[in-house]
Amino acid sequence: MPNDILVIVEYKDGGVRKVSLELLSRAKEMTSESSSTLYAGIIGYDVKGIVETVQAFADKVISVDSAVLKDYRWDTYVSAAEQLVRKFNPSMIFGGSTVTGKDLFPRLAARLKTAIISDAVGIEWDNGGPRIRKPLYGGKIISWLTCKEGVVPVITFRPNSFAITNRSLNGEVIEESLEIVPDSRFSTLNIERGGMQKVDLQESDFIICGGRGMKGPENFQILEEIADIMKGRVAASRAVVDSKWRDYDDQVGKSGKTVSPKVYVGCGVSGALHHTMGMDTSKVIVAVNSDPNAPIFSYADYGVVGDLFEILPVLRDELIKAKKEI
Amino acid sequence: MNIIVFVKQVADTEARILIKSDQKALEIENKYNLNFFDEFAVEEAIRIKEKLKDGQVTVCTYGPKRALEALRTAIAMGADRAVLLDNTGLEADDPLIVARILAAFASQDGFDLILCGRQAIDDENANVGPMAAEFLGIPHVSAVVNLEVVDGQGVKVESEVEGGKQIIEVTLPALLSAQKGLNTPRVPLITGVMKAMKAAIPTVDPTSLGIPKEEIGPDASKVVTLSYEPPQQRPPVKIIEGQTPAEKVRNLIKVLKEESKVL
Amino acid sequence: MNFALTEEQEFFKKTIADTVDRIVTPKAREIDEKDEFPWEVWRDFTKLGYIGLRYPEEIGGMNADKVMCMIFYEEIARGSVGFAQSVIMNILMGTYFIFRFGSEEIKKRCLYPAMRGEKIATMCFTEDQSGSDLGATRTRAVRDGDGWRINGTKMWITNGPICDFCTVLATLDPQKGLKGLNFFLVEKGTPGFSTGQIINKLGCRGTVTGELVFDDVWVPYENFLGEELGKGVYYVGDILDEVRLMTGAMALGIARGAYAEALEFARKRIAFGQPIGNFQLMREKFAEMDTLLNTARLMVYYGAWLLEKGMESRVVAAEAKMYATEACLKVVDELTRIYGANAFAYEYTPQRYFRDARFLLYGGGTHEVLRDFIGRTIIGRL
Repeated sequence: MPNDILVIVEYKDGGVRKVSLELLSRAKEMTSESSSTLYAGIIGYDVKGIVETVQAFADKVISVDSAVLKDYRWDTYVSAAEQLVRKFNPSMIFGGSTVTGKDLFPRLAARLKTAIISDAVGIEWDNGGPRIRKPLYGGKIISWLTCKEGVVPVITFRPNSFAITNRSLNGEVIEESLEIVPDSRFSTLNIERGGMQKVDLQESDFIICGGRGMKGPENFQILEEIADIMKGRVAASRAVVDSKWRDYDDQVGKSGKTVSPKVYVGCGVSGALHHTMGMDTSKVIVAVNSDPNAPIFSYADYGVVGDLFEILPVLRDELIKAKKEI
Repeated sequence: MNIIVFVKQVADTEARILIKSDQKALEIENKYNLNFFDEFAVEEAIRIKEKLKDGQVTVCTYGPKRALEALRTAIAMGADRAVLLDNTGLEADDPLIVARILAAFASQDGFDLILCGRQAIDDENANVGPMAAEFLGIPHVSAVVNLEVVDGQGVKVESEVEGGKQIIEVTLPALLSAQKGLNTPRVPLITGVMKAMKAAIPTVDPTSLGIPKEEIGPDASKVVTLSYEPPQQRPPVKIIEGQTPAEKVRNLIKVLKEESKVL
Repeated sequence: MNFALTEEQEFFKKTIADTVDRIVTPKAREIDEKDEFPWEVWRDFTKLGYIGLRYPEEIGGMNADKVMCMIFYEEIARGSVGFAQSVIMNILMGTYFIFRFGSEEIKKRCLYPAMRGEKIATMCFTEDQSGSDLGATRTRAVRDGDGWRINGTKMWITNGPICDFCTVLATLDPQKGLKGLNFFLVEKGTPGFSTGQIINKLGCRGTVTGELVFDDVWVPYENFLGEELGKGVYYVGDILDEVRLMTGAMALGIARGAYAEALEFARKRIAFGQPIGNFQLMREKFAEMDTLLNTARLMVYYGAWLLEKGMESRVVAAEAKMYATEACLKVVDELTRIYGANAFAYEYTPQRYFRDARFLLYGGGTHEVLRDFIGRTIIGRL
């Protein structure tokens, strides 16, 4: 039985989302190992550009291009994805553990009456089946999961779980026209997107996070500047969000977002457990704090002890220099 | 309006969790709470009831006996009744099964609206809500941050979408998952605490809900846990030295470039 | 024998701990640093109804058993002693005599608003020359027309400077010593009743403690709180064990807060390349602290159980207060050692526990007086 994989591709602002490219890259490695086919499923309207990008990453790119799919809705997207699964019979379905993914994939799995494993961070073949790595309890425990034989699981992965490899595959495009009837029981009245330019916090490679040590909302400006230089995002600790210095959207931690960027820089973040649980899977953690005993240093790779307001301007200037050199 | 709230009792974020020596099971310190996001769902249900001056709030969980405590917390806040779908002897931790059981209960009990938390903070799955809605054949909206009941027939909600917010009108019955920001959950009054202490919470055997036992028993799970392991330990922190802030920063950038190669 | 809390008590403990951690604990530092009565926390907390903890449900109380009362005192003191002291004054001593002897009129005016946190209650025993020695009370009450005229000055009055009413211990006849003692209700606004100096305390900050002055204060006859004149000291005896156990429970609360702080620190703090909790001398400290905590808890809850059953509890209550407080002092001391030099800095929490713990040495009887009482009771009159 072939071990084909179907990746449901996410895109926004005309570009494929990084998490989807990561999943395609990993899935391609896995289908190569098992001599199977990697399908990329693109659901939407006017997605030709997306299809072209994805062709480089997948063996076959299935395009479901229809006006009814213009904006994401679980009803139409689940219906499209369900039909793709039934038609192409993959052994696994991959998706991103994103805001959309968390809405779409559980519903899809329930429709298919199949298993779902969500928020995974790794996967490999093990005796012909998948072996899936998933953190639990805010990263305090790593679990390894698999599915019973014959089960076709839906698996969602956290952004930044895999590296992107462009193999310039030029995959075959399959255009599917499916019958999709929107659910009349709900209608979207309005969609408002703010901060379109910014990278999604969870997808960001670079996160600079301000804690109570930032002393006030006005001081976050310098963090914004540094984030812009690094094409990253500013995040905040719970104390900061509770003080209304930043939006909840920016909150990293147990009651906010779980992130694992390449670089996380904590500025004046004390390192309470509820915060570190949301960021301790970051690849490199840098802590800047005036208190040499701040718990954050127990989680950091690099620590800088000193006054934030002396260090941050230098950091900004040095990062500008470092960026120019590259 | 009949509102059912699906909740989960989860280990406290501070609870110590140990992996048993066979790496197949966990030992969790006895510190459990009503799931963080479920509190918003319970609070919203109570607010809707208070506003409409009519209806009933039923809180329901699929879990072990100890989960009664989480149900009592919901009653202390103001829920009218609670039901424990006792998982003793079943214990399948598969969202597909949990959602099926909860859906079966809801369908038997009857409801106009189901609320639940956006996700449980232990597994961060966010699966059970939308899956239960699928089993019930009703619409759902994830990550709701604002909710307004429109003439008792439907709800108008604001919810999080990728990079923004959307406003959706949904006909009831429907399932909504609560995101932080929806409300501020109340701290129970002494009268609520007393009511909760005395409340007799019925326990329902999930196999009595019309699902064949072999489909919800311990062997029914399609997902199998192979093993648990501790996360990789980070080496001890390297404190970046320097005489001046500028020197410290330069040394930091040097190690980020040369040692960890992330710049 | 059964040492377990009932499912109800467990739920109550969990709920009150959670409530304290939402409303009180996050403000503990601010309450201590500002040393002002935390009105906002007071309003947020008292509106939940906990001031009625001990009182019947018919009047809006919770009718909690004595074990639940201890659970409450312990948890709230764990959050902030400065706040706990004010709250407990309203729950227990500040309203006890009003509830027991007050007319319905007085209850409507004082007790019920106090149970809602709208009025602040206190109880005045101590004077500059008398604390444990109640017989030396000099505040004087005399019959005057249809009421009583009170003269004297009270010191160390919890909530005193902000109270809306107080229960005053006064003597009708200093010659009679303990048998001359009686309780009277004095309300804010009564001519001659004023507040004096506020004490700048080492710990338990946030509770406003100070002097109350009674200068020819006249109150009507019904403000006498008792059934029979001269029985005041017996009424004190009726509540003494509960007060002592309550103090022990507060000590337990502080000790638990300190212990949790020490444990977190020992697990996380790295020295010589490993968490300091790996060192034997650190482990010894935790063995010691845990034993102290468990022993203190057993004594306090045993005392509460005796009290609830209506069994003799005088010696056990005294021992529990003394033991739990000494255990607490030892635990906070260990915290300041485990925590290292930062325990000496105002910036960190250990110093607050260190200061707060000492507050409990005095209320409910000094340990010298308690030891003497216990020994005397055991040996008997020879």
